[in-house]
Amino acid sequence: MNDVYLWSAILLVTLATLVTRSSLHLLGERLRLPASVESALRFAPACALAAIAASDLAYTQNVLDLSLDNARLIAGLGAVAIQLGTRSMAATIGGGMAIYWLLRWLA
Amino acid sequence: MSSSRPSVPPGPSRRDAALRGVRELLPATPGIFAWGLVTGVAMVKSGLGVDYALALSLLAYAGSAQLAALPLIATAAPLWLIFLTALVVNLRFIVYSAVVRPGFAHLHWNRRLWLGFIVGDVMFVRFTSLMRDEPDYPHKVAYYTGGAIANWIIWQVASIIGIVAAGQIPTAWGLELAGTLALVALLAPLCLQVPVLGGAVAAVIVSILGHSLPLRLGLLLGMVVGMAFAMLLERARPAASEAS
Repeated sequence: MNDVYLWSAILLVTLATLVTRSSLHLLGERLRLPASVESALRFAPACALAAIAASDLAYTQNVLDLSLDNARLIAGLGAVAIQLGTRSMAATIGGGMAIYWLLRWLA
Repeated sequence: MSSSRPSVPPGPSRRDAALRGVRELLPATPGIFAWGLVTGVAMVKSGLGVDYALALSLLAYAGSAQLAALPLIATAAPLWLIFLTALVVNLRFIVYSAVVRPGFAHLHWNRRLWLGFIVGDVMFVRFTSLMRDEPDYPHKVAYYTGGAIANWIIWQVASIIGIVAAGQIPTAWGLELAGTLALVALLAPLCLQVPVLGGAVAAVIVSILGHSLPLRLGLLLGMVVGMAFAMLLERARPAASEAS
């Protein structure tokens, strides 16, 4: 692996990030989306978060584990309850990590 | 003369708005920090030199795309494959940019370019909540910029610590879970309406079923199916209440 290859790889990852994050912004008003798509975009935040969190929590090293032995999954479900009860992000992250470490210590 | 006019309370200044953005991002710090730290450690552990890892972190600022590119770089894969992989892993950001686009449409193109580039999951969700709940808030862009820059700083500091101190950071602690929990904390309050909850459940199921798809395409599929399902639920609901 030489310098040219590594720098090219780094710049290409950066370019890919720029293209995906900014190209619609650059098109601006010129791009009109169908009304149904615009309407569906309201649900994008929740659906993106749900999809990311689910695959992070349900899989351990690429193996699906929906059992009570999956400490990450239990911690994630505990975090939902803490968030709905306290509305505090600090409590959710702290409480979830505490559940996770406790379960691993007990296991 | 002035006493005859109703006194209008002064709105927030641009500075107030930026500070509010920072303040509303800060509670997510443990999650953002842990995710940056783990990404930094992973880059060095994959064999990428410290100088290159720093460059990748500071230039790309894209955790999941960086992690997806690492094994390819380590095996000297073709450059087009690295580009394509980073592009596909980042596809959710196209949807993000479509969501926040109206908020930036009035700005000069170079500001839209970099405001789009510094988006992160946390500030994206916060900004969409602001657009929905306070559509008349005067300095939305300053709010977003403040929070997004704070997000950038927290993530970069953590990532740099991870890169420089990779050998000293215990990976067995499962710190990256804190990043996921921050997303869970953002998600839970959004799901208190039926269409959103239904969409989120659909996204969860499809994302889990699609986990074996390459390039994290299961995430994108889950997100799109979830959005479509939420739309269906929303359209079905008024009809259902008329029928009853």
